[in-house]
Amino acid sequence: MRSVRHRDWRPVLRSVAIALTLAVTIPAVAGAQQVNTGDQSESRQELLDRIAQLEKRLGEVATAPQSNPEVLVAMAAPQAAPQQTPAMPPGMVMPPGTVMPQTGPSPGANPANPEGNPADSTNPQDLLDRIKVLEQRLKDLETSAVLSEPETRTKRVEVYVDPQGGVHDEPVPGARKTVTYQRERVYRRQTMSEQIEAALADADEHKVEVGVNAGIVAQFAVRTEGDPTPADNHSYELASADLFFTAGIAQNTLFFADLVGLGGTHPGYEIPTLTLINGYAARLQNQNQISVREAWLRTEVVGGKLALVAGRMDLTNYIDHNAAANDETSQFLSDALVNNPMLGLTENGIGFVSVYDPKNGFNFKFGFQQSDSNATSLNQSIFTMGEVGFVTRLPKTGEGNYRFWYRTDNASGTGNRYGFGTSIDQRLSPRITLFGRYGEAQAYVKSDSFYSGGLKFDNGLGFFPGDTWGLGYAQTQLQTSEKERVIEGFYNFSLTEKLKLTFHASHFLEMQQGGTKLGYLVPGVRLQANF
Amino acid sequence: MLNSKRVLTISGFMVVVGGLSAAFYNLLPTSRVHAADVKVADPTSVVMIVNRDSNDLAFMDIKTHKIVGKTFLGNNVNPHMVMMSPDGRYVVTGGTRANKAYIVDSHTLELVKVIPVGIAPEHLSFSPDSRWYYQGNPDGDSISVIDMQSMTMVKTITGLVEPLNITFTPDGSKAYVGNYGAHWVGVIDVRRHELMKKIYLSDFPGVAKLDPSRYLGGTKGINVGLFSPDGKYLYAADGDLGIVAVIDPREDKVIKTIRVGKDPWRIYMSHDGKYAITPNNGDETISIVDLKENKVAATLEAGPDMTGVNFAAGKAFVISSTSGYVYVYNMSTLRPGGRLKIGTNVQLETATTDVADQKLYLAESTTNSVVIIDARTEAIERVANVGLFPWGTHIMDSKDNYCH
Repeated sequence: MRSVRHRDWRPVLRSVAIALTLAVTIPAVAGAQQVNTGDQSESRQELLDRIAQLEKRLGEVATAPQSNPEVLVAMAAPQAAPQQTPAMPPGMVMPPGTVMPQTGPSPGANPANPEGNPADSTNPQDLLDRIKVLEQRLKDLETSAVLSEPETRTKRVEVYVDPQGGVHDEPVPGARKTVTYQRERVYRRQTMSEQIEAALADADEHKVEVGVNAGIVAQFAVRTEGDPTPADNHSYELASADLFFTAGIAQNTLFFADLVGLGGTHPGYEIPTLTLINGYAARLQNQNQISVREAWLRTEVVGGKLALVAGRMDLTNYIDHNAAANDETSQFLSDALVNNPMLGLTENGIGFVSVYDPKNGFNFKFGFQQSDSNATSLNQSIFTMGEVGFVTRLPKTGEGNYRFWYRTDNASGTGNRYGFGTSIDQRLSPRITLFGRYGEAQAYVKSDSFYSGGLKFDNGLGFFPGDTWGLGYAQTQLQTSEKERVIEGFYNFSLTEKLKLTFHASHFLEMQQGGTKLGYLVPGVRLQANF
Repeated sequence: MLNSKRVLTISGFMVVVGGLSAAFYNLLPTSRVHAADVKVADPTSVVMIVNRDSNDLAFMDIKTHKIVGKTFLGNNVNPHMVMMSPDGRYVVTGGTRANKAYIVDSHTLELVKVIPVGIAPEHLSFSPDSRWYYQGNPDGDSISVIDMQSMTMVKTITGLVEPLNITFTPDGSKAYVGNYGAHWVGVIDVRRHELMKKIYLSDFPGVAKLDPSRYLGGTKGINVGLFSPDGKYLYAADGDLGIVAVIDPREDKVIKTIRVGKDPWRIYMSHDGKYAITPNNGDETISIVDLKENKVAATLEAGPDMTGVNFAAGKAFVISSTSGYVYVYNMSTLRPGGRLKIGTNVQLETATTDVADQKLYLAESTTNSVVIIDARTEAIERVANVGLFPWGTHIMDSKDNYCH
């Protein structure tokens, strides 16, 4: 009797034998199409081993952040092979609006091997090429790499602390939100230049910044009307140097100091005018001595909308500002075209100012300042001022700044007196700005009054792109019937960003008490350096 | 017994099939495409965020503000700018420190191709038909041309000087390249991928030789050339010259120069086509250029270190990167509209605007977050932990897709 078991296993064994034969033979045959001998298989394995070795070494070297841009250059160099491959035959027009098929992967798109490495290629030449590339990359890296640590920085982070003192990154029931600081380390390959730049920027943030504003003004006086005076045909020269110190001392808090040294002569010594012929002279207290012109602290609160400034200051930096006529170092030289005399401030002093500026076009300023360096208390010679300003656009014009101010002072010693005024600068076109001021100040009997106006030209309306020039007129009239008329023109050559050369010509006509007139033409030149 | 026999026979057959399968398996190439889950069904539904220091791209759902996926690119890649192809199939970025371009499937978010390109790839652009991916390599003074059909780099366009941004013409026949290291705009013939013209913007002032520290200390040239929304002219701002040049693309020459503030960073076009804005970092102002008159309509106070301008709800939002503020301007009245405080001691990067012109998505690198600004109410919402050092954002079809 034949065993059923014996009889049934035969075909099975045959099938297994065939299957095993196929399973072994077919891959072997397939492999043999590329590597025919056992030696070739060994060679291929050696190549693959070498690639693996090189990639491992390359990974070790490359993972460390590189600090040398030359390395990056070197790494990229072997990758520029397909440069000369034309994308399309010359003259072929790309059909406009051609849309690529919407389904299926593009050739070469392989999530499993996005770099397209041929490490598992069965073609020995591919493997040799790959080894060549890797060896070159490794050589470049090992010969020129400057290794550095991963970038580390400390960050302010918000965390949640539960009642048991556990810290959580996300809100959990019962936890309170708090702020802490934590180190963070990232893999960022920085170049040497970036690291140097960051170090310099960090140093800049913590140092005291020093700036210099130096000016030399030479003027000449020619009498045009009235009796001879000592000033006729006299020349003058004034040299001024301001040293600025700025330091950020706390969050949103700044310290600023301006030390000024001034020496020389100016026409005001010899020509009796109601306002200063040379605006620099307003700074002159003592010849050839350094004095503290300003020293104040400024901090910002209410989300940066409210700025508070306290210390020794010049309140005209905040009140009665004007974009076209506000700076004797770069615009008009005559003091009547720098400030409004009806403000009444004669010198800098201790003060306080608050500026509310939500940056929506409206701003509000309020402050006080003492304007008498011989005062024995803060109660004397106090000027209290407030200003409302806004930005608007009139039809067919550019933007305009309109400011209105009011002030009181007790400088006369006979109670408070008031004054009010306005300061306007309106762009008529991108290159022309119209400006004007008006002011009145209470005097003993009636009021003193002042107005000025003019035009400023800039934005390329000159010889060089940065040049500015202007024409202005100012008239001051006192209650005592004294009157002054000033005309000035200037041309400011912007030689460099730090150096400017300005030619001025101004004419002062003084109508003094008793009806006598005195006129002077005062041409001048100003050399101004800021750095 | 019969059943046992049949089972054994079937078993033998299966072994044979298994053996054959094993044999053919060994013959298959390695480029098998694995099926992957679709994470983003609609490419317009996400905000793409490029995270410089976590070396990844994050995808945030516009409606839920949840991160729906991330694509890790590799250590020390430091991606710079992210952009989706116009056909919505791929998302690409240049790895600045890896010197490679990365192509990601926009639906599965899988990294499908890495292509070595030039040195320090940063900004990039697609041809309108999505065929050509131009990757600018500012440190290599070149543009790598990648064919998105074959996914290979087919050419490197040389002869450029720190190419920062590339703008294709609407018909895709030409591309304009802003060279930040020079004062000319490059014109690329897209058919040949060749630089065919350098458009000279303007003369330097005669006094330039007196200021070597400024003009030889470094070049602040042209960041980008942008078409006016009607496509009539191309506008390019030059930092050192302080101008905006109006270029006629029919002849590729400058027809007018407009003087703006000091050191204009670049130009941004308002969506209604009436105005363009240059943030002038030299004097911390913005110049609003009237595109009809080709002249400055207003110069307004702004903040320091401006890196971008977005338009939405009739307003312009100007990003002042180091101050932590976004300055707002009313584009109807051309007046200041206040400023939004984003944070203290924060670094703001760049933003994109949604296609409805309602919300801005602003990358804030120091807190690893994206700030969402409602343009109408100016309300702010913060999405935290999007990745390390988010550097920029991108929304498909947005009119404010840019980088710094």
